[in-house]
Amino acid sequence: MTRALVLFAHPCPESFSAALHTRVVEVLDARGWDVDDFDLNAEGFSPVLSEAERRGYHDEPANIEPVRAYVERVQAADALVLVFPVWNFGYPAILKGFFDRVFLPGVSFKLVDGKVRPNLQNIRKLAAVTHYGGTRVRALLAGDPPRHCVKRHLRYVCHPQARLRYLALYDMNRADTAKRSAYIERVTAEMRSL
Amino acid sequence: MRALVVHCHPRADSYTAAVRDVVMDQLATRGVETRLIDLYREPFDPVLSVADLDDYEDTTLNTRRVGDDVEAVRWCDTLIFVYPTWWYGLPAILKGWLDRVMVPGLAFEMPEGGDIKPGLTHIHRLGVFTTCGASVWLTTYVGFPGRRTIMQGLGLLCARRCRKVYAAHYLMDSATPDSLSAHLDRVRRKTDHLLAPRAWWQLW
Repeated sequence: MTRALVLFAHPCPESFSAALHTRVVEVLDARGWDVDDFDLNAEGFSPVLSEAERRGYHDEPANIEPVRAYVERVQAADALVLVFPVWNFGYPAILKGFFDRVFLPGVSFKLVDGKVRPNLQNIRKLAAVTHYGGTRVRALLAGDPPRHCVKRHLRYVCHPQARLRYLALYDMNRADTAKRSAYIERVTAEMRSL
Repeated sequence: MRALVVHCHPRADSYTAAVRDVVMDQLATRGVETRLIDLYREPFDPVLSVADLDDYEDTTLNTRRVGDDVEAVRWCDTLIFVYPTWWYGLPAILKGWLDRVMVPGLAFEMPEGGDIKPGLTHIHRLGVFTTCGASVWLTTYVGFPGRRTIMQGLGLLCARRCRKVYAAHYLMDSATPDSLSAHLDRVRRKTDHLLAPRAWWQLW
């Protein structure tokens, strides 16, 4: 059975992000996947890499001790699905902090002869479901950092043949109900075929 | 000239702290008024909460939990960030500072049905000083997410002809004492350039 880790990063249950999150979990559940639904805000995840963690960052395998439970959830997954809003052309801090603290040497990558090698070979499916306040043009002018982070960094640390979907709704504040529901339908279809 | 320096690193004895000291020294030498926000020492809570989001669009309420930070951003005309790059981006504590402090009414205005309007037009100088574990080639491939979040993302909200400087020490894990001290010199020069008066052809 495929096991999916869904990382959700929006504090409000009535938000559009939350609607996307609910739909993603429903669709994956309906496919018979084993879904590990990780609501970062609800579980009170702390995104701040502490001084002790920074000092022990490279000490494998002790470096995972402060975040062992999270590391195990990442390592148990065959699919990783992120559901988040884009704020200030980036991940929300709580999601950025998940990568800062949990994607450690020996977890997401390993150093072989001083070179970084991907280490999340268990993840063969990767998807990001997000929405931007700004327009696509504005995001392009800023270099669309979250799209690059997912497609180039996250994609790299997963299995070399991992399937990737990056789904984004731009200009969210001016998107009417029709546009929003069309996007939810698109997400539904993509999650069915992920 | 009034400079706000936003610094973050969990260790007080880090190289990033040395970069910050060079920047602060240079600002003092130039007689610039300075304020420093050290996010880890405060410590700053980077998680945008339900309460923050409830107030988000109400410009009379949305600054009440981050009043000092907002006041400092309003006060400055020069904004400088000193931080380590983690996973090609800003540390969560700094990303969260942007999320919580750069609210409507301060950083931008969101008119009904229109595109956003810049709100940081009083900021004429923007500086980014960082360190990266990755090489410059790999960082280029990933597209400089951290640098772009500030230089382009925040830069779009600053004054139209905002002067911007950026300096990074790449490959931090194979840094040598020489490369580290050469980078501090570079930071000093870049800070100077940021503060230099504009030439006559740059005035309009």
